[in-house]
Amino acid sequence: MATEQTVLRPPRPVQRGLRRRLVVLGSLAGAGAIYWHAWNNTGASISALITGYHGMVDILRRSVPPSLHVLRPAMSASIVTLETALLGTTAALLFSLVLTPFAARNIAPSKIVYEVARVFIAITRAVPDLIWALLFVTAVGLGPFAGVLALAVHSIGTLAKLFSETIEDMEMGPVDALRVSGASRLQVYLHGVLPGVAPTFVSLGLYRFDVNVRSSLVLGFVGAGGIGFLIDNSMQLFQYREVFTELACVLAMVLAVERLSTLLRARIV
Amino acid sequence: MGSGLSRSEPTPLSALAVRGLEKSFARDRLVLKGVDLDVHPGEMVVILGANGSGKSTLLRAAIRLIEPDAGRVTLAGRDITAAKGRELREVRRRAAMIFQQIHLVRRRTALENVSYGALGRMPARRSLLLRTFPPDVVETAWRSLDRVGLVQKGWQRADTLSGGQAQRVAIARALCQQAEVILADEPVSSLDPRAAEDVLALLRDIAHVDGLAVACVLHQPDLARRYADRIVGFASGQVAFDRDPGAIRESEITHLYLGELDGD
Repeated sequence: MATEQTVLRPPRPVQRGLRRRLVVLGSLAGAGAIYWHAWNNTGASISALITGYHGMVDILRRSVPPSLHVLRPAMSASIVTLETALLGTTAALLFSLVLTPFAARNIAPSKIVYEVARVFIAITRAVPDLIWALLFVTAVGLGPFAGVLALAVHSIGTLAKLFSETIEDMEMGPVDALRVSGASRLQVYLHGVLPGVAPTFVSLGLYRFDVNVRSSLVLGFVGAGGIGFLIDNSMQLFQYREVFTELACVLAMVLAVERLSTLLRARIV
Repeated sequence: MGSGLSRSEPTPLSALAVRGLEKSFARDRLVLKGVDLDVHPGEMVVILGANGSGKSTLLRAAIRLIEPDAGRVTLAGRDITAAKGRELREVRRRAAMIFQQIHLVRRRTALENVSYGALGRMPARRSLLLRTFPPDVVETAWRSLDRVGLVQKGWQRADTLSGGQAQRVAIARALCQQAEVILADEPVSSLDPRAAEDVLALLRDIAHVDGLAVACVLHQPDLARRYADRIVGFASGQVAFDRDPGAIRESEITHLYLGELDGD
């Protein structure tokens, strides 16, 4: 190693200097324009935030001490909200398990069936659960059942989409092995596909339940019962001390559900 | 395009009969160029060939895991190439496939995996119960596990088995399926030498003792010589030779691996 020869390096690919800089500047200017428009369009203003501060402090002052006489109804309404989420999520889970084998490209019986399933999923998913709740309140009347239906329909779409994508990513070997042994489509799905993806499905289902508990609260505001309905009432009547108690119940419930689902996921997956 | 062998009608004696099988993946890449092959009950045939010679494609096309372009395959006397739907499933039951990557359902027990072999002959509503099988299937499954020497592992989850054990469970699944033909695609390539010998001895036994027809793709000429009743040399999508191991010269085998540089 007396003379160290330098490696003959290939020339770095040329980046067209000026044009590239213009593109970057143009993109930045474009992004700036979009943000400027958004700021004006939403009526955002620093001064409103500062004057609003007094209003916030006022509301906080009027929320203490929390009124304890609504604690019992708030707790039982929270349970209604929880149960709305439970039924809605479970119904969605069952339906999407049936829908999923048609919506996963790699196991769908035909291209047409696959497309139909995908369109169905897109529709249920694209319409927010709040809109579904408004529709179902008109159909089945005020109350938590409208909330159950709204959550169920919206979650079918979200769950079936995630489920079928899980299946599309799975290892196809065991599935092929059962298929070439003469097993039917249903048998292959039940015995070859589900065992492999079950832990992921459970995890996704629990996450969906978590999300639905919070959604079902919001659905109460449009008449689907539960704690959301109580909070809405108290707000309308400016009873901020009641709102305090009710929000505390919500916080406790949400934290409890989160804890529980984390625990279950850790056990199963 | 002919393979040099006579293209006769499938003999009633062949459990697996392949006639003029063709398959191309791209317009210019013919992988199977009119293949003829017979495997008889009680016989273990080993197929040798370089990567990309089309031997795996042959097995997969024979069970229609991939669709052949032309030609005919009969399994236990029944034509699989024209079969559809329920009939296709019926014919597929005659053959069981063993894979290099084994492909057991990992989160199920060895016993359940073996029982899956019987799905094809179970009525649909009996297979709705997720983890329960009819008593006769369970009985067959235990006997199949016993045949491969793994009764003790019946309750163990498939992902806790060693590679060699898992491959023997896959063979038990083929037995539980009551298949007449076994198509084994490099069954020992991912196993250590000892486990490889066990699996090949078992496959040969299943041919000689239980009377199944075994077609096995291998990469190891020495193992082929020791375990095969007949060796089929495969090159460029055609049968190069088809003879007793004793009648094959070393140069013929070496020749299979020359001039085939592209991968599988």
